[in-house]
Amino acid sequence: MCAIAAPKVFGSDDFGNAIVLVENGDVPAELQTATRIAQSNCPERAIVLEEV
Amino acid sequence: MTSPNAPEAVVDWHTDYDMFDPQYLINPFPVLNDIRESECPIAHSDRWGGSWLPTRYEDVVAIAQEYQAFTSRQIIVTAPPPQQAEGAYGGVAAPPITSDPPDHHWHRRLILPVFSPQSVAKYEATTRELCHRLIDKFLATGQGDAASEYAQQIPVRVISLMLGVPLEMADEFTSWVRGVLETGLQDPVVRLENRNKIIGYFVNTLADRKANPREDDLITELLASKDGDGNPVPDSYVLGVCNLMLVAGVDTTWSAIGSTLWHFAQHPEHRQALREDPEMWPRALEELLRVYAPVTMARIVDHDTEFQGCPMKAGDRVLMSFPSANRDPRMFEDPDTVKLDREHNRHVAFGAGIHRCAGSNLARLEVRVAAQVWLERIPEFELVDPAAVTWAGGQVRGPRICMMKFPVA
Repeated sequence: MCAIAAPKVFGSDDFGNAIVLVENGDVPAELQTATRIAQSNCPERAIVLEEV
Repeated sequence: MTSPNAPEAVVDWHTDYDMFDPQYLINPFPVLNDIRESECPIAHSDRWGGSWLPTRYEDVVAIAQEYQAFTSRQIIVTAPPPQQAEGAYGGVAAPPITSDPPDHHWHRRLILPVFSPQSVAKYEATTRELCHRLIDKFLATGQGDAASEYAQQIPVRVISLMLGVPLEMADEFTSWVRGVLETGLQDPVVRLENRNKIIGYFVNTLADRKANPREDDLITELLASKDGDGNPVPDSYVLGVCNLMLVAGVDTTWSAIGSTLWHFAQHPEHRQALREDPEMWPRALEELLRVYAPVTMARIVDHDTEFQGCPMKAGDRVLMSFPSANRDPRMFEDPDTVKLDREHNRHVAFGAGIHRCAGSNLARLEVRVAAQVWLERIPEFELVDPAAVTWAGGQVRGPRICMMKFPVA
């Protein structure tokens, strides 16, 4: 569901497990809103966002 | 006149719910909302072998995640036929959905690559073509059954394609799956009969693939795969996976497609919104999955425990009502309203935890393509008679007869 909300930030590996696509997990400013929505749509609550 | 075998009408839904009550089948949400918002949001009933029914999002998700306390030894919402254990195929389950750790790990890992978004994408063109062919059959008549002539016909063929079995088997597969998940829920003998037909069919298929291995064939590949210790997988595992793909991949997605079209029939404004802005599809699809989540799964309590004040005993059955969880106002604003652009949608239509649906990406593809093709070919349509729509419930909720009428071009 994260890959649906933020396809430039999240993708999936060969097993269909979610992976982070952005380098070092750094989310560019223009993708931050989409990333927050991805977080609020993850049924596993597996996404942790940190403000830096 | 009531037949002597007719179940008694429910007086108190909190202590005696009946998942096959005719009104509840048509619309379970008033009951689920009532239980969820009461002081005791976990109902109990002795009917159909007895079960607990948690209705709040947090409780349903907690049960899904606590796989040690709530095991997957059985996952059907009614008690199994007593003779199942002694049946010819007693050793065949439906891995990984019926597996607990540690075996669950390799049971699931072997099939995940088949269902990754990248892998299922190759079925999009075929699914689209299939949907067009189905509509061709009734388009000129000005009416058609969105459930039996359309939704029901789609997933069974996609799954047959994935399994490498003949598409001509589709009607028989459908009848067997309904025998397990619909009529069979209320009749253990029918359930066992149909389960044996499914597994018997795949016993022959496995024998054929061993004698004549195929290139690029799922069953051939599964037969050659290795278990968690690096040993060849037993036939019972491959049979179980085939059983699961058919049983879990057919009724469920077909129900979601049917509910989606039932919704669009009554909401021309939603059809128009998607026509005007096709980019809404991904979010709209999740919203429809939330509101019309077809599946309820069961767990078996492993050891005596207290869960949210309920004294659950080892062996008790617990029903995870994903449809109810998805309408919990603690988690979703205005939960009974379909908002195609809903931004925060942590729905659990596909479950949660280690047993979260392995086929969710395929299901999403099928529901989206089926709805898109219908809306493209039949942009304006409505229910012939809303009161005549029939629904299946229990394990999998969705319309079974859903006649639509539309202008003929």
